[in-house]
Amino acid sequence: MVTQVADLIRRGVPTECAGRFVLDAEEWHAMVAALSRSDLPLLGLWSDGMQAHALFMEGTRPLMASIAVTDGRYLALSPVRAGASAPERIMHDLWGIEAMGATGSAPWLDQGRWPVTWPLRDRPPPAPAPPDGVEFTDDATMVRAGGTVLGHGPAEGDFNAPFHLRLGLPGERIMQVQPRMGYAHRGLCARMRGATVAQAARLVARIDATATVAHQQAFAGALAAAGGKQAGEMRDADLFVGELGRIATHLDTLAVAAELLADGRCAMLAATLLERVRQACGDMCGSRLLFDVLPPAGAGERALSIPPELLAELRNGCRVLQRLFWRPRGMAMQARGRGILSADIARYWGIAGCVGRAGGAESDLRPYVSRPPRGWPEGYPTMAGDVAVRLALRLHEVETAVEMLSTLDPMPRLTVPMPGDDHGSGEGIGCVEGPAGPVWHWLRVENGRVAAWCCGDPSLSLFQALPQVLSGAVYEDVPLILASLGLSAASADL
Amino acid sequence: MAYLNLFWPEGAVLPRMLPLDIFHIETGGCTGCALELRSLSRALVEGRSDIRFVSTPRQASLLLLTGSLTVEMAPVVELAWQAMPGTRLLAAMGDCALDGGVFTPNYAVMGGIGGRARASVVLPGCPPSPAEMLDALIRWRMQGEDGPPA
Repeated sequence: MVTQVADLIRRGVPTECAGRFVLDAEEWHAMVAALSRSDLPLLGLWSDGMQAHALFMEGTRPLMASIAVTDGRYLALSPVRAGASAPERIMHDLWGIEAMGATGSAPWLDQGRWPVTWPLRDRPPPAPAPPDGVEFTDDATMVRAGGTVLGHGPAEGDFNAPFHLRLGLPGERIMQVQPRMGYAHRGLCARMRGATVAQAARLVARIDATATVAHQQAFAGALAAAGGKQAGEMRDADLFVGELGRIATHLDTLAVAAELLADGRCAMLAATLLERVRQACGDMCGSRLLFDVLPPAGAGERALSIPPELLAELRNGCRVLQRLFWRPRGMAMQARGRGILSADIARYWGIAGCVGRAGGAESDLRPYVSRPPRGWPEGYPTMAGDVAVRLALRLHEVETAVEMLSTLDPMPRLTVPMPGDDHGSGEGIGCVEGPAGPVWHWLRVENGRVAAWCCGDPSLSLFQALPQVLSGAVYEDVPLILASLGLSAASADL
Repeated sequence: MAYLNLFWPEGAVLPRMLPLDIFHIETGGCTGCALELRSLSRALVEGRSDIRFVSTPRQASLLLLTGSLTVEMAPVVELAWQAMPGTRLLAAMGDCALDGGVFTPNYAVMGGIGGRARASVVLPGCPPSPAEMLDALIRWRMQGEDGPPA
């Protein structure tokens, strides 16, 4: 069935972007109909104003279908791919492009405070006066059940990107979850248009601090593809910084979860290891959070090395963390059964990455884009999809990454393929496995400047899945479940 | 048994420091500054410091902003400010909070709090390190106690 949809897409008109095909209305209709009988995962849906683009992952290869939206409409994908609902609403908020037959039509990003409507249009109309307050509509079940309505975010005094959850609790357990997004929207698509490649790369590094390297790598991949270069295997230096970023993000998540579970020893150890890693990143790359480490934003060539004593400390620290994590009354036992995101939910919303893998959904791009000397270790056998398994998987990935760093060339040099010249034109897509899951970037360059761009990661799908994940949880578990998911409003809102 | 530092080595009594309760809001950025603040908050908790990050503005005396201040977050910041009791002060940390940084003003971003309100503590950087953040907070407190540092 996957092959059938992929073949339908390939019947479209090929473009200069490898793997992108332009379909006419009839072919798009046929694709949507075939998608209902297929499990081809949808990775992203966006528009450049002239066309709507749908990005699928065929095995490990990106495959894009595009359709012209000259009349401002196209046939929605959300009836056959639930995860397309938020991107469709975002496209309407930004461009005023309507998805016909969509499952949802409420604004996703635009909550009425922007000074213009459809800001990415050439001549955006002015917006009406902002609303006095926020109105939510509870469904009939919630109204009948009564009870309490509690809010979470956007200002909780924590250190996460802002978003709001309206939680309905008829009893002690959550029955209804309504996310409200747009607080972290910075208009990145508008900023990218007309930016030079170097300016764009600097912005890309600052999309989401929990996945800086992944965004830089995916952007560099898209840039290389736009320059006509084939996506090859990831080299040691790229693998090196990628795994370093993954270690930092996972350790931060583990430390936050340990703090929420009041496991002081785990929290202390994870935070100490994290600080060591950040200091090493700062010494090595000049940025503790690995901003601007890849060209063109960073230096052209850089030797990477990590002190052997830090590797030894990380290895020992992981061993101790494992012991503390699995000890009686440890984090694993406390977090068991909370916030379950099963493989079915992951497939329904198109959630990949470590959260999907924790539920048993197979998806990992790393073994396909890089081949370290000793190969990738076996996958982690997980099925439960609860907070405990998600944290255990992150800890396992930290251990794996530490082993990976110790087997790589001790002094890899970091360089990234660039397009032919500064004034090149082209279109390309890049995809890597970030700490939370696949991160993709698509861009079109014209005369050395970005003409159109979009990116995505699993955060948007995770926000859509929150009603199912949080249903049945107690209010006090919400921060823990959100931390274990590793979702970021900064990369969901862009 | 813990030794209580009541005196400087020279014999002078240590100044009495009032606890500083900080309410932090990420107002729309990459969250890099927020991640560094999280590292700082862990160090402060571990060091039993009297500088604390609190979970409600009703308990805070300092509102610390990071991020480029999106249009959607502006009313949230205003509400948090109004909820703070008594004498309240504002801090802005990171380039985005000062002038928007890489996120210059557009339809969704107001471009930082720096040009719109007077902040008592201002720290540029993308992002500033936890040590720089702590240094800025301590210098500001000492300035309040003894006048501007030399």
